[in-house]
Amino acid sequence: MEQFIYYLKVSLKSIKRAPLPYALTILILSVGLGVFFANATFYYRLNSDPLPDKSDKLFFPMTLITPYECNNCLPPRVLSYSNVQKLSNSGIPSAQAAMYSSAGYARLTLENLPTPVSLRVTQRDFFEMFEVPILHGTVWSDGSAENQVLVTKATALSLFGRTDVVGESILLDDITFSVIGVLNDWQMLPRLYDANGRNHLSEGADIYLPLETGYDLNYLSNTNSVSYDDTDYRQLATEGRAGALHQLQFWVQLDTPADQQRYQQFMLRLAEDEKSAGRHPAPINNQLVPITEIVDYFGDASGDIEAFALVTLLFLVVCLLNAIHLALNRYLSNQYEFSLRRALGASRSQLQLQMLADVLLMTIFSLAGALLIAYAGVVLMNALLPQNSLFSSWDIALIIALVMAALICSYIVTLYPSLRASFGSLNQQLKE
Amino acid sequence: MITLTNLSKIFRTELIETHALRNVNLQVNEGEFVALTGPSGSGKSTLLNILGTLEGFDEGDYLLDGKSVNGLPDSELSKLRNQKIGFIFQSFNLIKDFSIYDNIELPLRYRGLKAKERKDRIESALELVGLQARRNYLPSQLSGGQQQRVAIARAIAGQPRILLADEPTGNLDSLMARQVMELLEQINKQGCTILMVTHDPDQARRASRNIQIVDGQLHDSTLYEPLASQSA
Repeated sequence: MEQFIYYLKVSLKSIKRAPLPYALTILILSVGLGVFFANATFYYRLNSDPLPDKSDKLFFPMTLITPYECNNCLPPRVLSYSNVQKLSNSGIPSAQAAMYSSAGYARLTLENLPTPVSLRVTQRDFFEMFEVPILHGTVWSDGSAENQVLVTKATALSLFGRTDVVGESILLDDITFSVIGVLNDWQMLPRLYDANGRNHLSEGADIYLPLETGYDLNYLSNTNSVSYDDTDYRQLATEGRAGALHQLQFWVQLDTPADQQRYQQFMLRLAEDEKSAGRHPAPINNQLVPITEIVDYFGDASGDIEAFALVTLLFLVVCLLNAIHLALNRYLSNQYEFSLRRALGASRSQLQLQMLADVLLMTIFSLAGALLIAYAGVVLMNALLPQNSLFSSWDIALIIALVMAALICSYIVTLYPSLRASFGSLNQQLKE
Repeated sequence: MITLTNLSKIFRTELIETHALRNVNLQVNEGEFVALTGPSGSGKSTLLNILGTLEGFDEGDYLLDGKSVNGLPDSELSKLRNQKIGFIFQSFNLIKDFSIYDNIELPLRYRGLKAKERKDRIESALELVGLQARRNYLPSQLSGGQQQRVAIARAIAGQPRILLADEPTGNLDSLMARQVMELLEQINKQGCTILMVTHDPDQARRASRNIQIVDGQLHDSTLYEPLASQSA
């Protein structure tokens, strides 16, 4: 250890000898790493698996059971109420939930000003499937229409000024609802259950209400809905369940590959039955998309972030090459000292330990610079691409990745120049 | 102690080959003070570099303490340089921004000696060269003669059995050169074998043996009585 501290002191002396080239090397490395890391933050977050323990069990079924002829059509991203009912009868999934998003206004009394709120109209299995933490209360007991809601912790604090509000009432679009549960802090990122357009990049809903209640109270989807006739579906309560309005996202939990196989068979049989009954003139086209592939399936992957990732990676490579060039000049100007050390008995392995001390210092300095630049980069990207702002936070895994990247880059920058400096004719170098 | 057998060294470029040393045969015994003399370009520095393992050779063999150094890996050669050989260069070769103490400590660091032992050795080397009071000075704060004494202190701090000196007084005036030579004689008397390259016939006469090199060949080998014995 004492010897390594000595190597560190020697490294510091070497830096003091030519501080400007060294600072330039650090700056170049910091900029390359910082820009790369700022982008990697978004890339990592956007492509992370929000439910690593069960993401291989969650699937999004889609079927082209539509009442019109259509060749080469993809199944719609959303299902009709009646199709969800048919799919829900399989008995195969261990959990299943239909859902859609909507919006409304909430207040405690008619005297208060209403606050706009986002709604998720769904079924009780939603909370279990997507591991939603409940802080107070519980979810509704069955699938029946009840004027009961769960609210987020932030919504409870905003409306009531406290979180334990189970049993309290709120007015949602001036209809009284009882609060039966409060969600704990929860931010599923990316929000894959709502992959549609780029909804998965946005925040979750404020208030959760039962699917049947949503239909009874004429809450239409505010994101994606398709209808195949002229029915006025604003009358959702009376027309929505039987008609051809497609607005429901539907998720199923299939715990084993055998279940997945059985469910696909079930979907096929269902489509064939519908076809036999004349309700399905289009060719059969069923899809059962895993949750981890849903964004790609819908073609909603953030191409801009991926393009940035590639560009910043190339930029990092360019920075590395520049830093190596500068480091090479610095080491070659110190070659005399390398040779003197070798002449006095330092082995190449001892010189490599000296190099490790150089690497450690370079890692520390470039890491500090990279963190500053990455932070500025994240702020800038949040300003340029505000839709991605939820994905700009750092966690310990990301920080460790940056430390490793800085270490590897510093090693690369130091390795070649130090090897060049430690080889060659001792006699010649001592004379120079 | 040192045995060279038919040792040759050729410097090659794309166009020409230069025979720096041709079939050199040499035996140096423990405790000898050998002066290597000869005209510029005769190969004396090359010979010294080969003896110090700073440079390889093309033919023949070099036995140090009965063991061939030919083909030894870098780690073994480093160990050998560190533990058996001390170097004194004409241009001192001190690290400019290291203190005198740190410069002398350099080879001891690579030997892995404990801090206490390093300190003891540095102190006695400084005492021998008379620079205890300057231990924290930088080389640039010393005269040329003092810098060469620092280089000598660095060479002897490792208690080497062989001291290789390449024109150690080449950059010094006559007074300082005499002081350095006296120091080398003192070190030699303590049992250290010294091989010294010099152009100065007076200095060569102070050695116990003078080897002349001309065109890469050992031409003459003269044994002198030690200077102290002569004056007695």
